[in-house]
Amino acid sequence: MISSSLKGRALRAIAGGSIAALAISSFAVVAPAGATARPHTSGFLACVVTDTGGINDHSFNASAYQGLKDAQKANKSISIKYLSSSSSSDYAPNINTFISEKCGIIVTVGFLMDSATADAANAHPSQKFAIVDDVPTTTSKNVLSLTYLTNQGAFLGGYLAAASTKTGSVATYGGINIPPVTIYMDGFVAGVRYYDKMLKKKVKVLGWTPTSGDRSKGNYNGSGTFAGSFTDQTAGQTITSGFFSAGADIVFPVAGSVGLGSVAAAKSAGTGHQIIWVDTDGCVNDAPDCSWFLGSVTKGVEPSVNAAVSAAAKGTFKGGIYSGTLKNLGTGTVVDSKSVSTTVKNALKTITAGIESGKISVDPTKYPAV
Amino acid sequence: MTDQATNVAAASSEAPAAPRRSRIRRAWDWYLEGHPVIVTGLAIFLGLVIGGIVIILTTPSVLHAWSNFFSDPWNAIKVSFDSVGAAYRAMFTGSIVDPSAFWHAVTTGQGWTGGSSVLTPMSETLTYATPLVIASIGVGIGFQTGVFNIGANGQAIMGGILGTYVGSMIHVPMAIHLPLTLLAGILGGILAGLIPGFLKAYTGAHEVIVTIMLNYVIVYFLTFVLLSTALEAPGSADGVSRTLDTSAQLPAIFGASSGLRVNYGLVVAIVVVIFAKWFLERSTMGFDFRVTGANPRAARTAGINNKLILILCFVVSGGLAGLAGVTQVSGVNHYIDTNFLVGSAGIGFTAITVSLLGQNKPIGIVWGSLLFAALSVGGRQMQAQTGIPYDLATVIQAVVVLLVASPVLIKEVFRLRGAKTSGIQLATKGWSS
Repeated sequence: MISSSLKGRALRAIAGGSIAALAISSFAVVAPAGATARPHTSGFLACVVTDTGGINDHSFNASAYQGLKDAQKANKSISIKYLSSSSSSDYAPNINTFISEKCGIIVTVGFLMDSATADAANAHPSQKFAIVDDVPTTTSKNVLSLTYLTNQGAFLGGYLAAASTKTGSVATYGGINIPPVTIYMDGFVAGVRYYDKMLKKKVKVLGWTPTSGDRSKGNYNGSGTFAGSFTDQTAGQTITSGFFSAGADIVFPVAGSVGLGSVAAAKSAGTGHQIIWVDTDGCVNDAPDCSWFLGSVTKGVEPSVNAAVSAAAKGTFKGGIYSGTLKNLGTGTVVDSKSVSTTVKNALKTITAGIESGKISVDPTKYPAV
Repeated sequence: MTDQATNVAAASSEAPAAPRRSRIRRAWDWYLEGHPVIVTGLAIFLGLVIGGIVIILTTPSVLHAWSNFFSDPWNAIKVSFDSVGAAYRAMFTGSIVDPSAFWHAVTTGQGWTGGSSVLTPMSETLTYATPLVIASIGVGIGFQTGVFNIGANGQAIMGGILGTYVGSMIHVPMAIHLPLTLLAGILGGILAGLIPGFLKAYTGAHEVIVTIMLNYVIVYFLTFVLLSTALEAPGSADGVSRTLDTSAQLPAIFGASSGLRVNYGLVVAIVVVIFAKWFLERSTMGFDFRVTGANPRAARTAGINNKLILILCFVVSGGLAGLAGVTQVSGVNHYIDTNFLVGSAGIGFTAITVSLLGQNKPIGIVWGSLLFAALSVGGRQMQAQTGIPYDLATVIQAVVVLLVASPVLIKEVFRLRGAKTSGIQLATKGWSS
């Protein structure tokens, strides 16, 4: 009885305190909006609407947000904001919220936000937009589409794989047969074939057979192995084990988190089997598995978003298409394994310069197949 | 001795003198009676207070001010109230109306339409609330019948799938197309609801388990239809459906050029509210539903066919959930993807809490939906303006529901005598029956 009355008193004390607190805070709410200025800084406001992954997804959404932070680091007058979408129904309201917040540029992420971004861009022709990894069709010219020629980065990955294989056979596979995926596989095959041609070797590639098509127009034609998903890790493990038994020792999965299945397959196959990670640096993204990564073919979302935001802040922003290349760090290959020799690393540097200058083609059909 | 005992003694001794009391005193007594409206109001109030405490404890600038408390105590308190005030002000102006912009619009006639109209916050709140009202009424009718339909989300997804099929792959004039699309949505919900209905009626399988698990089945079914059937947009490999024909879309009430997204789904929701009120309070079948919910054995003894009522309840509840799903597609999204109503966007799950909040009654559910919608929509504005994460809105929603579901706590804190709990008791009884 005593304890219950004590509890009652304690609760009442909390209630009393909270009533007082709310009375004051509600006073603050009622006070006219003009009285306390919004915490806006005077500079340039850069905003990002992320997809459902949110800003901590260790992938493109995180990279896009990081791009904003990088831009802010370089230019202190930029302030940044983000809104996460919990579903596709949030895209439009999130973008509209930022339009009314008067963001200098709104960055959106991924193909799924294509139509929401295009609608908002058409309705607000003076609002600047940048969209990661997608080219929306708009009537207005205020959207910068951030695209990435990842076949350049994958070319280096292919060369690295060909130079590192012990069995004379490497492999790649994709998530779903769409251009953003096959562009990687295509560049990878080109890199291997280039290695064979230059060093007169016969390293084979499993999983992607390119056929003719104009690469500069985005036609990465060919046939190959696909997991049918970007999340089914079991499928990735099955495919990768299949490649290992077919004689390959290095596999390049282009399938998002399906690639974790490849890592699992390499672990169960044992030392000597390695994975080339895709999109981000595997040793950063999946640090515990770092020893299984030979290297990573990256998509430079941060530098591209950074460039778009910085340009908008400086007033030099122009809509259109941004192509991420080796030169502007829009793509690249990171060597993760310590076993890679300096000779190979130096060769990669030379090839990078060759691709940048256009002397080396990343079209696999330009090289003889083994 | 104890406060309670004195309260009770005081109450009983004062009771006969009631007619002579002043009006204020009677209002105070009414407050002490703990009418559900009072309990809910106090729960919202406490939710906002706790939300304020969370803001103070998690905002870096505020914590910094508190770390200097001993050198500048007034600043710490000022910064705390400033950021809580700014957050709630952003929530209010983002979900209901910005008073200064409203006054500006009234005096100048500018700013009524366009991308950032003064009506945008209200329009967004109503847009968010529309499918929520419909789904919550479906769940509420289930609760009143003693049926725990946790599968409303799956039923809503099924409604969305069938609605998208009809809306995007049949091409007929709007007068036929729109009703047909909405009917397809209702049918989808009914089909998904009949499975647990039949299983419960004829095998005794507990509807909670069956409906929860069916949600997963339906989410994967959604992925399947989007990746492997003709519903997928031609040329797409990302699991995005075809877009609904304009003739199958619920048009925006103020026209597409107004920039206000509130659509004729609102009218559908109002019709559903009126239907539910009539159904539960005036119709014979609604009476049978409620009697079955109150006491299934008595209902059977009185000649009500329990099995039939159970199945019909899933038809009504599932049908409304399906209608909610198709309203979302037809009124707002115009297409579905693999994220449709998945995760935190699952209105069918929110509907359970909203129904609880609204005491399972149509009008209560309308208010509950508006509250949830305003918190969600305002939370977005709060994050955009102040940087305080959107999740705070979810915290406030959760606290409000927790407090409404445990009226004893509210009663203790605010010294209420009564605190009626009928709606909640009825809802929670489903577990044991």
